[in-house]
Amino acid sequence: MFEALIEGLFLVLQWKAFSLMLVGMSLGFVVGLLPGIGGAATLALMIPFVFKMTPAEAFAFLLGMHSVAATTGDITSILFGVPGEGLSAATVVDGYPMAKRGEAGRALGAALMSSLIGALIGAVTLAISIPIVRPLVLTFGSPELFMLSVIGIACITSLTGLSARSQIRGYAMGLLGLLLSTIGQERQSGSLRFDMGLMYLWEGLDLVPVLVGIFAIPELVDLAVRRTSIAGDRAPENLSAGVIEGIKDTFRHFWLVFRCSAVGVFVGIMPGAGGGVAQWMAYAHAVQSAKDAKDRERFGKGDVRGVLGPGAANNSKEGGDLIPTIAFGVPGSGAMAILLGAFMIMGLVPGPDMLTKHLGVTYSMVWTLAIANIITVILSLAVLNHLAKLTYIRGELMIPFVLLLVFVGSYTANNQILDLIVTFCFGLLGYLMVLWGWPRPPLVLGFVLGKLVETYLFISVSRYGFSWLSHPIVILLIVVMLVVIVYPFVREKPAWLRASGSSA
Amino acid sequence: MSADGRSFEEPVGLKRHLGFSIFLILVGGYAVYSASFWSFKTGFFPLVIAIPLILLALAHLLLEVFGDSEKSTGPAVDVEFSKEIAPDVARWRAFVLFAWIAGFILIVFLLGFPIAVPLFMFLYLKIQSGTGWLQSVGLAGGAWVFLYVLFQRLVYLPFEPGALQVWLGF
Repeated sequence: MFEALIEGLFLVLQWKAFSLMLVGMSLGFVVGLLPGIGGAATLALMIPFVFKMTPAEAFAFLLGMHSVAATTGDITSILFGVPGEGLSAATVVDGYPMAKRGEAGRALGAALMSSLIGALIGAVTLAISIPIVRPLVLTFGSPELFMLSVIGIACITSLTGLSARSQIRGYAMGLLGLLLSTIGQERQSGSLRFDMGLMYLWEGLDLVPVLVGIFAIPELVDLAVRRTSIAGDRAPENLSAGVIEGIKDTFRHFWLVFRCSAVGVFVGIMPGAGGGVAQWMAYAHAVQSAKDAKDRERFGKGDVRGVLGPGAANNSKEGGDLIPTIAFGVPGSGAMAILLGAFMIMGLVPGPDMLTKHLGVTYSMVWTLAIANIITVILSLAVLNHLAKLTYIRGELMIPFVLLLVFVGSYTANNQILDLIVTFCFGLLGYLMVLWGWPRPPLVLGFVLGKLVETYLFISVSRYGFSWLSHPIVILLIVVMLVVIVYPFVREKPAWLRASGSSA
Repeated sequence: MSADGRSFEEPVGLKRHLGFSIFLILVGGYAVYSASFWSFKTGFFPLVIAIPLILLALAHLLLEVFGDSEKSTGPAVDVEFSKEIAPDVARWRAFVLFAWIAGFILIVFLLGFPIAVPLFMFLYLKIQSGTGWLQSVGLAGGAWVFLYVLFQRLVYLPFEPGALQVWLGF
């Protein structure tokens, strides 16, 4: 195994593979920065170019590109409040308020360093877990995956305030997100739901116009209202100091970064869940880690922990994603399904062969994840000074450019004018939600998880009736779900306990 | 704080929360009504979601009307808008931006992205931002080059022609 690990390293460090990895990384860097053009779509575009490459070169090129896109997506989220990738929306919630407060450097430093640590944890997990993860993945059938999705939804408790009305608002938004996910063709019977006679809605609402609209447009409106730069009228921050502070934050909250990375790896391993789920679960976990209600109030207002959690999970899930893809040919996400196509082109069959005959190639993927992320973070840190200066450009000049990125990005979803209208509608909805204090993260979480929940529920009921509720892992997951729901309330001392404590 | 040191803390009024609760009840009601015409398999999941949505929205509405007034909106884990600008000014500026966005979508529909992007950039920079002629033309041209090189040359994203071009047969 050790020889294979070294062989994998040498495969990546060969000049051709390494050069191709750098080319892939450059593409991934740009793709990550631009809203809408996802890493998965770019992977699909690049597949035809790998025909003449060796497996190690092809995976260096493709994985180098894909893993970097998740890292640089955070940069756009923090600087402009526009999710650069569908996977970086959670970073907006605290990263952008930090940029508005003149702490863009600190937020970027924290995002990049947590991304790096997350990626390394994902790569190490991939390296050591391939031989042992098989039983875990095979134990998780549809009922267990359904319960995992429900646990994701239960995270809503952490994404809202603790008062009764805040909780109601949070869960109502989560349900609205779930309801929005049911638009389009019902997967099992093919019947249409809420399609309003529009063929556009047959495939359901695409994630990109919804996410970009709901997060980016309210921020642009706020910028237009303030008529200042993103960072306001503050004097430019000392960026180097800010970046170093962000890096220090990562190590100050290392245990949180580690836990969120673990969340990312776990969600990545589970087929179908994807990075959109990982980042929100990690964000919810970061909020749960708040000491008390007062500490919790800092989230959404520019708390660095809200940047660290999703940053780490986004990148660690890449390693997790690869585990079922390599070990069983079961792609953990859309991007991995495309990568599976590359396996076929290379004449590789995922499964036992990848763990024996082609172990060197498998470990070259581990090294690619690690090396590509290290190089990206170093390069990004080198150009951060210039990037963060963008937050000091007059808002009135920034708005049309960001709007251009927002709408062209949304248009990439289906290449239809209706993509723009959906973006506008969700922009308006997002604006009203922020204005009136209805939280957006639960809506997005519900929307992201909706299709999974319905599919797994349908398969579970069709296959097992209601007996799946007595599966041991399902029972365990129900307990976990209850803990997720109750924990924030238990952690916050009840009023009578606080009163007795203060009187004593 | 505003330039004169004021901060405009606009309370989230009863009417607005009521408005959003009623909106959710209507959305949930529409879902239940639609699902009632579908087969059990198709309608089950939307029903399971829509009914609790209506109940939650109703509970929220009742709490708003009959419950104690909420001192603040509670710590929603989300961003907040700046409070330095007077609410009526903020509303007007927000309306103006939404109008610009709607206008942009309209010209994309009529003229297609390749024409709409530089045109919108120029008009926004000149009229809304008050930028000089040279800068407006330069930045609009830059945006067009960016769009063309990146999306059409590198990513091969096909932009549909505008409706006006189709009607005129260009």
